[in-house]
Amino acid sequence: MSVQAADKSDAGVRHDEKKERADKIDFKMVTFSLAGKEYGIDIMNVKEIASAGRFTYVPNAAPFVRGVYNLRGDIISIIDLRIMFHLPAERKDDDALESLLILRIEDHAFGVIVDNIDKVVGVSRAGIQPPHPIFGDINVKYIKGIIENQGKLYIILNVEKLFAPKSEEAPAEALAPAARMAAAPAPARPREQGAASASADVNADFVKETLFAFKRFGVSSVNEEWFKVRYGQWSSSRKATDIQLKEQPEADQFLETFYSPCTGELWSEAYADAVVAAMPRFESKSINVWNPGCGKGYETYSLAVALRRSYPEARIKIWANDSDLLAISMAPNMVFTPENVPEVYRGMMVKGRNGFTFEQSIRDSIFFEFHDVMNSNPVPPVDIILCRDTVSFLSAADQNKLLSDFCEKAKHGGAVVLGSNERMPMDGWNRSGESPVSVYVKEA
Amino acid sequence: MRVEYINPFVESAFNVMKEVLQSDVKRGELYLKSTSMPVMGVAAIVGLAGDVEGRVLFDMDRPTALAIASAMNGEDITTMDDLAKATITELANMITAQAVTKLHELGFRFDLTPPAIFTGDNMEVSNQDVEALIVPMETPQGKVEINVAIRERA
Repeated sequence: MSVQAADKSDAGVRHDEKKERADKIDFKMVTFSLAGKEYGIDIMNVKEIASAGRFTYVPNAAPFVRGVYNLRGDIISIIDLRIMFHLPAERKDDDALESLLILRIEDHAFGVIVDNIDKVVGVSRAGIQPPHPIFGDINVKYIKGIIENQGKLYIILNVEKLFAPKSEEAPAEALAPAARMAAAPAPARPREQGAASASADVNADFVKETLFAFKRFGVSSVNEEWFKVRYGQWSSSRKATDIQLKEQPEADQFLETFYSPCTGELWSEAYADAVVAAMPRFESKSINVWNPGCGKGYETYSLAVALRRSYPEARIKIWANDSDLLAISMAPNMVFTPENVPEVYRGMMVKGRNGFTFEQSIRDSIFFEFHDVMNSNPVPPVDIILCRDTVSFLSAADQNKLLSDFCEKAKHGGAVVLGSNERMPMDGWNRSGESPVSVYVKEA
Repeated sequence: MRVEYINPFVESAFNVMKEVLQSDVKRGELYLKSTSMPVMGVAAIVGLAGDVEGRVLFDMDRPTALAIASAMNGEDITTMDDLAKATITELANMITAQAVTKLHELGFRFDLTPPAIFTGDNMEVSNQDVEALIVPMETPQGKVEINVAIRERA
């Protein structure tokens, strides 16, 4: 008995200790596997993850360089970590997709092939143990340390070292840790902005990561202008130690200024008129609209009414979809109290059993669908795409997919309505309308 | 898939199964799926036409199919014979027909094709580009997944 009790209390102490350490998460890493073993890379070095294949072979390159790859216009080198570390690498077909980590080191991007990308793990910097000099597979100088997380040991790679230009690497290798420290600030130097801005970048990156983790808000070229301004306000109004978003309410607070006017309610007459005025005049007898991410349907009804007022003769058809089943199931039968809706809508409402609803002709013009825009979108070519504050709440890769769907589905001369703080990063679109209206017209 | 179509299918699946099996049926969380899906062993399919195009697929594993067929016939069925197949086909037909009747009352015109049944191991259904609504049903006999893919005729 007594032995057991002692064991238990011992375990309790250890547990507390561990808990205390785990409480302070100040280091996040992307974990992956190579030849069945777990590795991690500091998330600050990881730009994104991707899967790709058909790399373009580069003659006379080192064996671990699989080739180059065109990542949305940037040509990046692809390095196979397994070959680099002399680990067994499964040779896939030329067409097969490999798991890629896109790393950012100084100003360069690299693609690194690994076996499997696992997840993002948050750990405490204090828990990282230095590598033991007798480590096998990988040369010790490329290892930052070892960390234990949920029963697994992760080897944290030092990617700065791994991909540093050869000339810098030689002396660092000779002088070991001291030289490594000295070499570390080097990346900041060419930028001529000093250490302060480097740490600001790191903070901004961290805020981006946490926005995505808490709110699935992906900072990208769609909303980067807003993010920069907002981040500036945020960081100047807070203490340097208090910039990062630690909890969901803080992320909500950060996003407060992002949302477009009249979110979650029927549009005011002024806003609806401004949106329609920013769009080109449609001459055709029928107007097709696609409204991905319509939520409860307020904006869908608002646009249906605005179009009806401007084009009383046209046949209006709106495909509205959302992947939130609860929100979208309420949409077809939404009930209003007339006192709470702007006057312009009242003429188009009829009294039903439970309250006022839009008249049948308006409701017949809208198809509410339970649909995930990441699956294939079976909408016909459309004149208008209404998608406010939806694109931003996707990962960068999904944003690109959806935006290219927009390019494909919009007719020439068609318009896309984005959120007030969003812009269309694709080519072939011209901005129209003044803030807070963000309309882009596709070139004819 | 239009929101109006979801409830008729969920409700009729629930009602019919509860009635024919005379036992407690639970509905799982609905979700969307677009990739190809492995078939558990027995699949009954009903096609839809009219204002829309699409299909409803009832997917279950072999022991579940046998248990359901046994329960519906009131006798012990141990092999996937003609009677078992006909019973599962009939179940698919009843659920789809009841859903279509409900939709008809709401003003949507649907026609259905006679059901067909597929049995075998390691089968996979892939129709690319079609997003399906999955309605998982838990019965005492086992799990039945109802996979509804309907789209408006463009």
